[in-house]
Amino acid sequence: MAMAEANPQINLEDVPRLDDVTFLPVSRKYFRMRMAFWGVVQLMTFGAVMSPFVARAFVDDGRLDEFTGWWWPLAALVTWAALWFLEEWKGFERRGYAVREHDVTYRTGWFFRNTTTVPFGMIQHSELSQGPISRALGLNHLKIFTAGGSGNLRIAGLDEEEAQQLRSVIEVRTQR
Amino acid sequence: MIPDFSVPRRQHPVGMAILAVKFSWRTLSTFWPIFIGLSLAEIGWRHYAAIALVFIGVVASAIVYYLRFRYHVASDALIVERGLIQRERLQIPFDRIQAVQLFQGPIQQLAGLTGLRVDTAGSSGSELELLAVHRSEAEGLQEHLRRRMENVEPPEETNGEETGAVGTSGHQRDEGEPLVALDVPNLMKVGLSQNHLKSAFISLAVVMSFFQGLEDRMVVWLNGLPAMVQAVLGLATVFLILPGIMLFLLLGVLTSVALAVLRYWRLKSRLDGEGLKLEMGLFRRNAFEVPFKKIHLTEWNSNWIRRQLGFETLRIRQAQAQSGSGGLRVFIPAVEPVHRAAMEAALYPDLESHRGIEFRPAGRLRWLLWLVALLPAGAVLFVPATENLALAAVWTGFVYWTTGRRFASLRMSVHRDAIVLERGWFWKTRVLLKMSQLQGVEWKRNALLERRGIGHLVFHTAAGARSFRYMRREDGVGIRDAALHRLHSMHPGPGIVQ
Repeated sequence: MAMAEANPQINLEDVPRLDDVTFLPVSRKYFRMRMAFWGVVQLMTFGAVMSPFVARAFVDDGRLDEFTGWWWPLAALVTWAALWFLEEWKGFERRGYAVREHDVTYRTGWFFRNTTTVPFGMIQHSELSQGPISRALGLNHLKIFTAGGSGNLRIAGLDEEEAQQLRSVIEVRTQR
Repeated sequence: MIPDFSVPRRQHPVGMAILAVKFSWRTLSTFWPIFIGLSLAEIGWRHYAAIALVFIGVVASAIVYYLRFRYHVASDALIVERGLIQRERLQIPFDRIQAVQLFQGPIQQLAGLTGLRVDTAGSSGSELELLAVHRSEAEGLQEHLRRRMENVEPPEETNGEETGAVGTSGHQRDEGEPLVALDVPNLMKVGLSQNHLKSAFISLAVVMSFFQGLEDRMVVWLNGLPAMVQAVLGLATVFLILPGIMLFLLLGVLTSVALAVLRYWRLKSRLDGEGLKLEMGLFRRNAFEVPFKKIHLTEWNSNWIRRQLGFETLRIRQAQAQSGSGGLRVFIPAVEPVHRAAMEAALYPDLESHRGIEFRPAGRLRWLLWLVALLPAGAVLFVPATENLALAAVWTGFVYWTTGRRFASLRMSVHRDAIVLERGWFWKTRVLLKMSQLQGVEWKRNALLERRGIGHLVFHTAAGARSFRYMRREDGVGIRDAALHRLHSMHPGPGIVQ
């Protein structure tokens, strides 16, 4: 077969570039939800780190004075909280999805940046999920499943209407 | 004389015996603490009666299970009905079947029967396992299922235009092209070139767990000996260290060879138009039939010793279940260059016809690898002494060389459809995947790498993710776009999965 000759080198000029698309942001409410989660976790860890100070206030028999290393965990906690906050804050601006003719792309992260693309043809099924908090806020998370599970995608924090719309787009595109 | 599979049928009666053994084993492994407890207590006739009762129960359940188990082939699916109280009807659509595998344990081999296993890409538990079927019948069913699997698939999926000679067959089923066949000398070579240290530790762990009480009894026995003898024995152990190490290594080699014999005894494989056929094993003989279309990843491994023998190990991976586990993985040891060429020509025809574009990681990675490898030397320097300094210097030089080799071995070549990822210089790995089978592509980096225009390209396949790290942004993004473009042009319209 002379097929091999009819096999030109891929001309990258003709290939549609993913970088050219504009990403749609997810709901702003989802940012609040993530920040609330951040706050709860920080509060709990802060409580755990502060517990020796509280204990010292109650049992002031001098035994706890010998430990001076308590400030280190606190410093570590503050640094961690700040970095995490930065990631959430800056990362949310970059968080978004884009739907093209044949695939859907999801982009996340500020320090750890991921851009994952899943072709519609490979989607096995999709699922809308909602926890109690996201229900109260009217948010939906769209999960997209592919064979093998390694390419699964979770587009979190979509407004109800937007999620339904995106889902129906995916359903039409993947219909077999 | 292939029977009619459209009527519901039972397995061979010997299946009852196999089921009884299987169920007994399962009971034993679930309730073993009770049996241990029993062995400590005084055993009266009541206990024996209870054990007998349990055994009768197990056998009865095996018989009932056997009687209630029926399977047949419908127009579009394989159907199994089973269960007494909770009746179950299992439907396996043909296009979900990944591979049909025959296996023979000792009982099956004695009775001239075979087991048959149908693997699906779905969640685990939806696989079907027949335990006892006549060999001819099983082969008939295998053949039948394979033909049905093919009929279901749309023809475009065989990559028709480019596979040429390979994909368009199916008219005449010849015996195909023989691939690896292991005779005894080659089997020994495989056994001898395995990782003996690993085998030695495995066997040691087995021995240790087996003789757990031995140590205490030894101590008791030693304490009973006269002091004089104890001293002599203590001295003798010093001389036993070297023979002990030798014994340990010998144990490792023997275990390696034994494992190789158990697993790969009389391995036979061949390629035909549609897929790979494979047969191996001593006590449990497995026969696989893997269609090319259902192979999502192939991986070639070799260590330095194997390469001297001209061998490589081939791993074939199919789609795995959502949990990330499961999915058939087939290992073929001792694949020679000729076999590799045949296999790759059949699976990835574009490797030959298209030179491919080669990519290498960014030079920065070389220094990063070196830096990480230098960490032990840094630890040594915490205790400054001349010897330590010398040691650190030697280590620095050594890892400079090894990381250089490692960096040089990292390579990705992109062909028309196939992507080849290579890494390693002592332990070499070569991964092949197809753009048209990708489930997703990911471009991954952190902010620091982004500033330098570097990132990692991750290919998500149905058999797991593989990545090429530290590539230049324009290359990585370009390959991603090209791969997606390729995917869309291969699967126009709403889609084909798997």
